[in-house]
Amino acid sequence: MKRTILVFIVAALVLIASAIWFFLGYQEPSHMENLHLLIIIVLVAFALFFGYKRLTSERRGEPAEDEMSKKVMQKAAALSYFISLYLWVFMIYIKDRVAMDVEILIGTGILGMGVIFALSWLYFNFRGIRNE
Amino acid sequence: MNNRIREFRARFNLTQDDLAKRVNVRRETIVFLEKGKYNPSLKLAYDIAKVFGKAIEEVFIFNE
Repeated sequence: MKRTILVFIVAALVLIASAIWFFLGYQEPSHMENLHLLIIIVLVAFALFFGYKRLTSERRGEPAEDEMSKKVMQKAAALSYFISLYLWVFMIYIKDRVAMDVEILIGTGILGMGVIFALSWLYFNFRGIRNE
Repeated sequence: MNNRIREFRARFNLTQDDLAKRVNVRRETIVFLEKGKYNPSLKLAYDIAKVFGKAIEEVFIFNE
């Protein structure tokens, strides 16, 4: 139960921090920053979905996580780490070719990693895990 | 690897929820097992076979 609550707390903190960054900034947010906020909202929605799944399992009297959900998490983490390496290589490649602030570039990379993890998790969660 | 979980579950009149609670996993895991989308650990396979009072090889059929 503690970890489930932690998921909701972290999601809320991310949302609050993003709102402060976005709405209390000195300048008008750029298109890229608007896109970043959208991605953050999608990632928070993913975290809430994940937390909701854990909560419903607990309410049904089942464990919040079992061997399959742990394996899905491990596989998703491994795959997203692997893909993220290529993402950062790509970010380094475009760094010298596109005029972009370093903060925006790093922010895009970090959010990209989040999106890759969410997609990897969805992939394994719906495809299942067989012994390949 | 194929399995006869659905068949035994029907025979023992157990829902996916009942079986999940008995072997301490989430219902989703039972759904994936029945669809053949997940191969269980030895412990889970043993626990499921124990619920049905069968040997593991009667419930889980390994295709070479």
